[in-house]
Amino acid sequence: MSARLMALRGSNNEGVLAAVLVVLIVAMSLVSPSFFTVGTLFAVIRSSIVPVIFALAVLIVIISGGIDVSFAAIAIFAAYTTVKLSGAGGSTASLVVLTLLALGIGAVLGLVNGGLIARFRLPTLIVTLGTQSVFKGALLAYIGSRYIAALPPSMDRAGKHDLVTAHSGGSPVSVSLMVLVPVLLTVFVWWLLRNTMFGRGVYAIGGDTEAARRAGFRVIRSQLLVYVLVGMLAAAGGVVYVILGRNANPQDLVGSELDIIAAVVLGGASIFGGRGSVGGTLLGVLLVQLINNSLLLVGVPTAWQRAAVGLLLVIGVGVQAAAAKRSRKRVFAHEDLEVAR
Amino acid sequence: MTAQKEQGSLRRVNASVDEVARSLVGRFQTNRGVRRMLVLVVVAFALFAALRPGVYLSTLNLQNIAVAAPEIGVLAIAQMLAMLTGGIDLSIVAVANLTAITISTLYTAAGSRGDALGPVFILIGLVVALVGGLVNGLLVSRVGITPILATLATMQIFNGLAVVWTGGRTLYGAPRVLTGVGNATVGGIPVLFIALLLVAAGIGILINRTALGHKIQLQGANPTAAAYSGISSRRTLLGTYVMTGLLGGIAGMLFIARNPTASADYGASYTLLVIVIAVLGGTNPNGGFATVTGVVLAALTLQIVSSGFNAMRWSPYQYAVAQGLILIVVMVSDQVHLRRRRRGTPPALPVGPATPPTPV
Repeated sequence: MSARLMALRGSNNEGVLAAVLVVLIVAMSLVSPSFFTVGTLFAVIRSSIVPVIFALAVLIVIISGGIDVSFAAIAIFAAYTTVKLSGAGGSTASLVVLTLLALGIGAVLGLVNGGLIARFRLPTLIVTLGTQSVFKGALLAYIGSRYIAALPPSMDRAGKHDLVTAHSGGSPVSVSLMVLVPVLLTVFVWWLLRNTMFGRGVYAIGGDTEAARRAGFRVIRSQLLVYVLVGMLAAAGGVVYVILGRNANPQDLVGSELDIIAAVVLGGASIFGGRGSVGGTLLGVLLVQLINNSLLLVGVPTAWQRAAVGLLLVIGVGVQAAAAKRSRKRVFAHEDLEVAR
Repeated sequence: MTAQKEQGSLRRVNASVDEVARSLVGRFQTNRGVRRMLVLVVVAFALFAALRPGVYLSTLNLQNIAVAAPEIGVLAIAQMLAMLTGGIDLSIVAVANLTAITISTLYTAAGSRGDALGPVFILIGLVVALVGGLVNGLLVSRVGITPILATLATMQIFNGLAVVWTGGRTLYGAPRVLTGVGNATVGGIPVLFIALLLVAAGIGILINRTALGHKIQLQGANPTAAAYSGISSRRTLLGTYVMTGLLGGIAGMLFIARNPTASADYGASYTLLVIVIAVLGGTNPNGGFATVTGVVLAALTLQIVSSGFNAMRWSPYQYAVAQGLILIVVMVSDQVHLRRRRRGTPPALPVGPATPPTPV
């Protein structure tokens, strides 16, 4: 029985998280009839589009044993620079070209992070704190500090297409075509982490760098790749953010890093590296967005959102920490038994 | 050193060599962090003084530096304390804001008697900070949550509570005791700056002269060794985070003394800035080593550079770039220095690149 329960629980508590999500949905529906509607569902999906992309980036870094607080700066840097370089509203560049440009910028900025971290073996939090400041400052000082209202037409058009439209409470609600980006990226990252040598290497490095080195993983190259990939994912998130917002504001995004990290950690990724899953991360982001979207419906002022997410995080990591403590004790008790015999 | 006569002379020599080596190493480390920051302070100051002496050397500008530095200085000292144990405290700015909000709310509520009751309100504000620190301490030491996660969560909670409390608005009003202190100077030196020096001296004594301080250092340097030396890591960590909470409260007092307003999102950029300052000041992010002097000098350096950029009419964005570059260059040069020293100890073969250029 316990084996089946363990399987349900998932290797990173994904099962527990899913259960919490379901309980929350049921409870909300009972409290507020207007909760269980397509409108709420779409609202949660819409507000999750960009956070999911960022969370995937953060997940990869955290699994590799690092932490990145510069991804939001990279995202807005790449997106804003792309819009600005292409000539904003007067641009004739296609969406593909613009996206490739943004991804290229993201990759270069990620390479700066990766180079500093892998080459000099500096603490990842400190390096990305520094580069965050540099990226954001350079964007605002040298590229532009003005809000751009007119996007290149190809980007603007991309934001107007809806994937699905439904009627909820008499008014039409819809989900943008952009929702496909996080879906595709989720599948890609899931495949990358699960089925490629690179992905297994990321887990190995995060679990024990020295062991990974001795097992033959090229640690420096993998770390470089991790940060380049994170830069590109961040850039993709930035482009989607700009497309959905229909404008490019260089002051946006930076400052929301810790919220994304919180969602990923809530999703079961270990801050020490080596553990974490795409499924858990997805659930973590959805849970946070669900709370943000639904508190108001059940009569809790939006001001409580931040405190509620913080409380959820304390409970989430607290339970994990307590479980870890217990299992450590169990191991010792087991060893003591062995010794006694 | 009291070596007894009956002990072998060899042993005595060994012990004395050991002692000398240890004190040398200690002094070397202390000096490096502090010396580097001293050089940076002087260079930064001289640079801006030379570029724009009229504006930069004015009394007003110097006093502005001395008034702006204390709040981030105190927060950075708190961060240093958390980092000394190998942890981190992301919630100190939120705690500081809670204290400022508490004091401001009580002052406004008390109406005409607000000024008379000022000291009481300040005390209550500090108690709020203490409770915040206690929550962090319990989460880290009892529940066993990693400091970065525990304080990430409490940061959200404290900040969330502040948002709920203020409704997202900015509160005005502070007891005259505090605003008086904020404007006062002694011999031309703002009292706020003197407060920073007092806090720094107090924490310096705490770290180097008290049992808790030594436990904090050992806990950060080597938790296993600390545990086997009979040090209760629980109590040490609890003490540390209560202390960082209290320092956050003091920073909150400085916030409101400097500017009689309080809001939930004041100093949003401080959370990360304070980590930068602590690391610049020579704090080892992995724990075990830090100097208060270095951290105070680092806070001053950043403030000097910031006001220098102001005096030069350079944008705050360029200052952000400079701040990030300073951090990265200092970290990289530290690392290069460390590696060279490690390689240099034995009469080593010339291996690897000597000083790689910093790719920044």
